[in-house]
Amino acid sequence: MSAQSPRMPILKRAGLRPFPPRVSAFTRPFWTTLGEGRLITTACRACGRLTFPPKLVCRGCWSEDYDWRELRPSGVLYSYTRVHVLPRAFVADGLYDFAIVDLADGVRLMCRLLGDPAQFAPDIPVEMVVAMYDDGPLFAARPTG
Amino acid sequence: MRNAAILGYGAVPVGIYQRVKDGSDPPLEHELAVRVVLDAVRMAGLRKEDLNGVVVAHPGDHTKQGYFHTFLTAYLGLTSRSTVVQVLGNGMTAGLAFDEGLRLVRGGETDCVVVIAAHFESGTPTADHLNFSIRLTGDVDFQSIFGAVPIAWYAMSARRYMHEHSVSRAQIAEVAVKNRRQAALNPLAQYRTPVTLDEVLAQRMIVEPLGLLEVPGRADGAVALVITSEELAQKSGRPHVLVRSRGFYHEGEHQIPDRHTDMTDYQSIRIATKTALERANIGLDDVDVFQIYAPCTIVEVMATESMGLFPRGKGWAAAADGRSAFDGSRPVNTSGGLLSRGHPPEATPLYDVVEACIQVLGLAGERQVPNARVGMTVSELGNYNAAIAHILEGRP
Ligand SMILES: [Zn+2]
Repeated sequence: MSAQSPRMPILKRAGLRPFPPRVSAFTRPFWTTLGEGRLITTACRACGRLTFPPKLVCRGCWSEDYDWRELRPSGVLYSYTRVHVLPRAFVADGLYDFAIVDLADGVRLMCRLLGDPAQFAPDIPVEMVVAMYDDGPLFAARPTG
Repeated sequence: MRNAAILGYGAVPVGIYQRVKDGSDPPLEHELAVRVVLDAVRMAGLRKEDLNGVVVAHPGDHTKQGYFHTFLTAYLGLTSRSTVVQVLGNGMTAGLAFDEGLRLVRGGETDCVVVIAAHFESGTPTADHLNFSIRLTGDVDFQSIFGAVPIAWYAMSARRYMHEHSVSRAQIAEVAVKNRRQAALNPLAQYRTPVTLDEVLAQRMIVEPLGLLEVPGRADGAVALVITSEELAQKSGRPHVLVRSRGFYHEGEHQIPDRHTDMTDYQSIRIATKTALERANIGLDDVDVFQIYAPCTIVEVMATESMGLFPRGKGWAAAADGRSAFDGSRPVNTSGGLLSRGHPPEATPLYDVVEACIQVLGLAGERQVPNARVGMTVSELGNYNAAIAHILEGRP
């Protein structure tokens, strides 16, 4: 793993993740490391390309030779929405926000968006955080500061 | 390769067929499908024995009858020496079914094939329907976990578009008003009561910043086309619609890409429509009417901009000033589109082909685009990562 970034804040959330991810031998390092406050992904050893979610083959050159690379937990809010019609699994959680975040390291991801919706706007800086549920972590973003 | 033509079509009005009043019995999906096949074959002036090939749009996960294509083929007593197949491709499903029917005829595998779509979902409660839909929204282990529903992409695109072009929700919402006005004149449409902009804006939020009338309602539907060789269509002496060309592009992304891209620009529709135009040897100005898969107001804006109908950042204005209406210079979604004609997803692209046929044959009545002869249909498979376009020419 490359040089370490500051750890992400870990925010406790009651209950279980509404639609939990499956974990494979390949994706296990991502989820374990996330639980420790670090966001990692795969970087191609042949061409250097970063991707997200982590992949066991490079999308660019099909090399299967990769490193786990830590991502800086900061970026900008590309866009976001609040969902008012709830899928069955999310009914207990109530209305929720999620976002597309462009990380400083050049990758884009989708995640929960936490914080005061009055502060949300495209292009504001956001920081990545860990939402730690009783059954494991999810990654999320919130306005910086 | 020879040309293929549409010689017949049939469709039931889009609507809620499975939720009925207590004491009455809802129709079953194949009962509607059978009816539209008979309508299409009668319109073509053909008999059962003339059909050789059945292409069915995969009816979706809320339709109870499994292996719908072979079930329906048997129900109709059809045999086939070409194929009996079910086609699946996200929102593009029926567009690909149409494409497969054309390919069979063009390749000489058959002279006459029937393409069928029946989408039945209204019996499934919305929360359960959405619970399935989140599996269709990105990577299930890294993106669906946050509860994104398909229209959430479009909501996020709307937010971004509004930000980049300093456009308001109200300006984009004019698309809903325009399309409802067109649906009011379409007997196949689900929502036919005209609405005002204020009414659109007053609806409850569904996915911010889009409210109830800026996103598609839930719907059932059934539609069928009879596709024949151009020769057979000409010999019939009946009005028919020649399929001039197709274009396709998949950009290699699954909904949310892994790098910083522009979500307000649909390169797939640009490339697919340009390819179709080049192959038909015509330009955009030669197309009289456009049927574009646009589940939300913002999608019609971004899709029409991306394919070059309107300048970037200005497409929203075409609904308000009437340019994209049936009596405007660039008629778009004259059926009422997905928002008002209705959106039974696995059948929607075939409904758009039917509307294109009605227009280029001059049969659209009060919503007729004057002198329309050439139409374009486009469908997509989710956040416009791919698009398929067809160019149709009426021979009334
Ligand atoms: Zn590589």
